[in-house]
Amino acid sequence: APIILSDSPPAAAAGAEPALTAAQKALRSKPARAPEDPDKKNKKLKDVEISFPIVYGTISFWLGKKASEYNSHKWTVYIRSATNEDLSVIVKRVVFQLHPSFTNPTRVVEQPPFELSESGWGEFEIAITLYFHSDVCEKRLDLFHQLKLYPEEDAGPQSTKKPVVVETYDEVVFPEPTEAFFLRVQNHPAATVPRLPPGPMELMSHDKKRFDTKDHSLSQWFSNFSEADELLKLAAARQQVQAHIAKLRRQLSMIEGMPQQSRVISGPGQQFGHG
Amino acid sequence: MDAKDILGLQKTSFPSAQEKKPRAPKEPQRKPDGVSREVYALTGGVGMAPLMPTIEASHLKRRPAVEKEKVAWQWLPFTSSARTDNLQLYHWVRVVNNVPPTGDYDFAKYNTKVDVLKYTDEEYEKYLTEPTWSREETDQLFELCQRFDLRFIVIADRFPTARSVEDLKSRYYSVTRALLIARARSFDEVAGNPLVKETFNAAHETERKRALSALFSQTKQQERKDAEVLAEAKRIMESRAANKNVEEAGAPTSLPNAAVPADGVSPLSNNLPSSAATHPAAAANTSIPDTLRMLKVYLRTHALDQMVQAVTASAGIRMIKRVDQTLQDLGVNLKPKVPTKAVCAEHLELRNEILTLLNIQKQLQNKEAEVLANRESSFTEAPTTPKVPCS
Repeated sequence: APIILSDSPPAAAAGAEPALTAAQKALRSKPARAPEDPDKKNKKLKDVEISFPIVYGTISFWLGKKASEYNSHKWTVYIRSATNEDLSVIVKRVVFQLHPSFTNPTRVVEQPPFELSESGWGEFEIAITLYFHSDVCEKRLDLFHQLKLYPEEDAGPQSTKKPVVVETYDEVVFPEPTEAFFLRVQNHPAATVPRLPPGPMELMSHDKKRFDTKDHSLSQWFSNFSEADELLKLAAARQQVQAHIAKLRRQLSMIEGMPQQSRVISGPGQQFGHG
Repeated sequence: MDAKDILGLQKTSFPSAQEKKPRAPKEPQRKPDGVSREVYALTGGVGMAPLMPTIEASHLKRRPAVEKEKVAWQWLPFTSSARTDNLQLYHWVRVVNNVPPTGDYDFAKYNTKVDVLKYTDEEYEKYLTEPTWSREETDQLFELCQRFDLRFIVIADRFPTARSVEDLKSRYYSVTRALLIARARSFDEVAGNPLVKETFNAAHETERKRALSALFSQTKQQERKDAEVLAEAKRIMESRAANKNVEEAGAPTSLPNAAVPADGVSPLSNNLPSSAATHPAAAANTSIPDTLRMLKVYLRTHALDQMVQAVTASAGIRMIKRVDQTLQDLGVNLKPKVPTKAVCAEHLELRNEILTLLNIQKQLQNKEAEVLANRESSFTEAPTTPKVPCS
């Protein structure tokens, strides 16, 4: 499992778009049918799982002097790759569903970076819907996020400089990717493939636009999600529990083996008199 | 013209000194029966119990007809058939109409005697010789037996040569038995005689007495140990009865004779197979719930939720809460903050292990409660016997 930190880019590719082979390009431009190999395109790889770690959330700034009653904060809702790679490798478009009090509450974003900025005064739940490329997945995926404008109670007065950031880490999992899809993305830095890619990572070519979020204007506020901490804590907890189980198992077998002698403290001395 | 006349009302009934009602001379308050005059005067009649005699004089037994007869008590001499000497004793006698009572002394009938057989020399030579016993000793024994009515403790005390009670008893019983059989015309005649039917087991008696004295001189600690051992033995018996299908390869719970605990408790070896089969934890996270299989794409957190639900499906709501509480106590997030594949796997494993732990805890509690209940019940059943050894 990869340990992904946003500021340590993976080995070779620095925010790359994969260099597409001719076949892949052909596949991409003609999603409906590929002349070479229709079976290959549709074949599902059963034991391979591709996942894309993502982070989604909101960043909101208090407007300070410029704040009015109905416009106290400006905020941005977004979904990004957890390593700030380019999500458009799988995501075709993202639809943000806002509170009905917004005009045109259904906001569609067709290209990266998949985000939306607005201003307002109220906190509400935003629905984020991912639509994937047709070779990736025909189903859409829904996420939900609660917009937070106001800081915690003990954080002191609001500042226009320091935003309120709420981010959630998750992973988009494709349990049975088609072979075509797999081939297309297996070397992409945004993807997590269970086994190491056979070849070196694809290099970026200069004239491609960078659609990652590594240099995003808000990137300074992005959180670092490290699985190391959590893994450590979980391992420690498991050890504790296992030790406890072993101890109890010993106690249990003792009771069922030789019981009373070791455990009786004091009791009224009863005489069993015969004779 | 009286208004009342017009209205027809009665004249008022003012006692305007009209009639002198004949008054019965009112007695000074009559003293009720059953109470003495003085008491009544003292108490003033207040606070007295209901004045009903509780004992009817007429209900009492009439004294036996004393009138007809003349009864006197006299200090008279008497004889008792129980006495062989001619000692003259006196006692008070109730004499009725100058006729002293007749008959033997009332208590003479309690002077029972044992029929100690007497053997002739010939019989002795024929049937009764014994290497360890001389003729004189046997004679002395029998004489003492006759004299002391087979009270062997006394006999043993008075026996000229030192011999144990068992020894004496043994000799007496064997001699008597042999005599009986010899004198009887057929064995069947005396077969019913207890002396013939049962033989005296000196070894057993010795052992019994030794054990009894050991029991008597037990320390408190040994007593307790015995109690434990017996309780355990009982428990084993019960569990054996309960688990008839569990084959025991000779679990020798050496049930001590309650009379032989002197050297402390003999350890019990219990070969009962441990029935602590831990509750099989739910399947590992490799078994993917069907709901997930159907999805072409899903979020890792959603997958984890499904797996967690699958694991805890069989447990009750209380168990689920306890698992969550345990997770919190361990400092683990109920939902992982960084749900990567590895983290989710670990999380699921942890939950499984916690379930196992809670199940074992419950098992242990149940076992302990069961043992405690067994011990208490065995305690209440044991009778307390007075600690007096008797031979």
